[in-house]
Amino acid sequence: MPKHDVNKKEIRMRGVPVSAGVAIGKAFVLGCNLLKVESCALQEQEVEREITRLHAAIEKAKQELALLRDQTEELLGERDAAIFEIHQLMLEDTELVGEVVRRIRSEKKNADRVYLDVVTEYEQSLTKSKSELFRSRVTDLHDIARRVIRHIQGDTDKKSDHLPGPSVVIGTDLTPSDTINLKQTDVLGFATELGSRTSHAAIMARSLKVPSIVGLGDLCRLISTGDQVILDGNAGTIIIHPDEATVADYRKLLKAYRAYVQKLEKCKKYPARTRDGKNIELAANVEFSEEVKPALQDGANGIGLYRTEYLYLTRLELPSEAEQFTEYKRIVRSVGGQHPVIIRTFDLGGDKAQKHFHIHQEANPFLGFRGVRLYSGNESIFTTQLRAILRTSVYGKLRILLPMIASVSEIRYCKEMIEKTRVQLSDEGVELADEIPVGAMIEVPSAAISADLIAQECDFLSIGTNDLIQYTLAVDRGNKYVANLYRAYNPAVLRLIRDSIRQGHEQGVWVGMCGEMASDPLATMVLVGMGLDELSVSPVSLLVIKEIIRRIEYAECENLADRVLGYATADEVEKYLLSVFKNKFKDLIFSELHNQYNI
Amino acid sequence: MIKKTYIIKNKLGIHARPAGQLVKLASRFKSSIYICKNGNEVNAKSIMGVLMLEAGFGSEVTVRVDGEDEFTAIDAITDLIDNRKFDEE
Repeated sequence: MPKHDVNKKEIRMRGVPVSAGVAIGKAFVLGCNLLKVESCALQEQEVEREITRLHAAIEKAKQELALLRDQTEELLGERDAAIFEIHQLMLEDTELVGEVVRRIRSEKKNADRVYLDVVTEYEQSLTKSKSELFRSRVTDLHDIARRVIRHIQGDTDKKSDHLPGPSVVIGTDLTPSDTINLKQTDVLGFATELGSRTSHAAIMARSLKVPSIVGLGDLCRLISTGDQVILDGNAGTIIIHPDEATVADYRKLLKAYRAYVQKLEKCKKYPARTRDGKNIELAANVEFSEEVKPALQDGANGIGLYRTEYLYLTRLELPSEAEQFTEYKRIVRSVGGQHPVIIRTFDLGGDKAQKHFHIHQEANPFLGFRGVRLYSGNESIFTTQLRAILRTSVYGKLRILLPMIASVSEIRYCKEMIEKTRVQLSDEGVELADEIPVGAMIEVPSAAISADLIAQECDFLSIGTNDLIQYTLAVDRGNKYVANLYRAYNPAVLRLIRDSIRQGHEQGVWVGMCGEMASDPLATMVLVGMGLDELSVSPVSLLVIKEIIRRIEYAECENLADRVLGYATADEVEKYLLSVFKNKFKDLIFSELHNQYNI
Repeated sequence: MIKKTYIIKNKLGIHARPAGQLVKLASRFKSSIYICKNGNEVNAKSIMGVLMLEAGFGSEVTVRVDGEDEFTAIDAITDLIDNRKFDEE
């Protein structure tokens, strides 16, 4: 790869942390070796085909950039996304592309060679500029060249991506084919420009238990293979060319993190039981079958929330019954008959499902056509999913969870549909389990307020805190002007949670929680004290929550919950919980608490 | 054909972002649009070309527009360079 006068000063970037941990090591940029470009002479008849290849590669790079732009805008805002518009213009530059085409014709050489030659000439004259503002465009141009050349060369050369040793793996986005040749024990972490919590690199990182950060804008432009790099998967920070002091700081952090992880690993095999003997069902929230095994290894009592939206969002067509069945069965099977798997029927809506459900632009999608409200108008889609879900019931302990329930009639409708589907399948001779419990999400205030009525209609309740908080407090967490008002510990939210649990219990059903609050170590004592039977947490939080449960007594939690419910503001509640936490679990203060509460 | 000369008044000159604005604007018109500084003429619809000009603060550039929509094109370009100063002031 051609050397640039990369400024070796420390560069810090923030992205979205998707897997916890700390890594210090050398970067390995996937795909960078593809800039080795050969020169081949073309036969006369090959010239036009080469030009077609060039245009196809530019088209692919354009799509990639558009995606990158959208994701960056979503994650970091319009300002950071603006650079991609410049990239887009460079990519489509008529003069540049025209020159490449002319030269492929006249020199009869391969497109990647000519493209690199032309770009290099531009780079050379830009480098001569007196102004830094112009000189810095060289890196942009180089980034464009890297993308186009990668696409001209196709994916065939990826075989060469073997790690030279323990490395932090860097890429635009990592696909399974990118990572297939990586020696897993040499992967210290992943950092990508694109991606989300659910992208391949994120999932792989969590299962390897290495840190991972996604959404790092134009990372590949700033880093080269061999550069020293620090990845803080707890804070979402990547540091390129860290100076000595920074490295020393992070070595300390890494050591502390390792000690913390080691301590937690010890409770893997033990049950989530309080010191005075109350068992808490501690389950995991998952989205993919790959996440199940590691969660069970950490001692999860099954899957408390399996989100199925992924199947609908990642493709253009609706997922077929067969496809869904295969996916659900894999999950139910891998958990086995010992523990339950709670499958939530699709919770789509707002801007996410327009293509499947003919939803028109809604002024207020969160109060609109989403979750269970979509089902009656899209009965065949709902039935298809129910068939796939019910068919897996003979492979384990299946439970069904209904999202966005706001009233009893919605549960009645869904239960009727489930019954109808069950009869239909039986008539077709399909084996089904005798009992398939059906539960309702408590995430709309009306459901929480009438939890007794809801509970009479179903077999369990599962509290979804993210929506419950946003609807109760009338706060859109994604809106930066009011995001600070989104508080899990607002007394109104705590009361709704307490009342839902109480009313569920009075009706004889168990009550769990699958929202983000269940994964917050600060909340564990309060939730246990309020009497929750089940906590379904993100897989990374399993061990820390279990360790907390194993150190507390139910009786003290009851007192703590009572006390907390007497406070008037979220600040008071948080302050009190923090002081208790610092006192009791000083050694567990690592994890995301770090950033969330600055302790 | 219309020719018009401008003095670049935004402090950072036509660096990447303003260059992008100019190229996007120029590309909307059917006319051919060229921009010239110190005898060096480039296609105003090419970001590489416009960047190569290195038109810094205070530099003098001449825009040459030729085509059916040349009047609207030159008006729009004047608005961007002279009135809006590339939205940077």
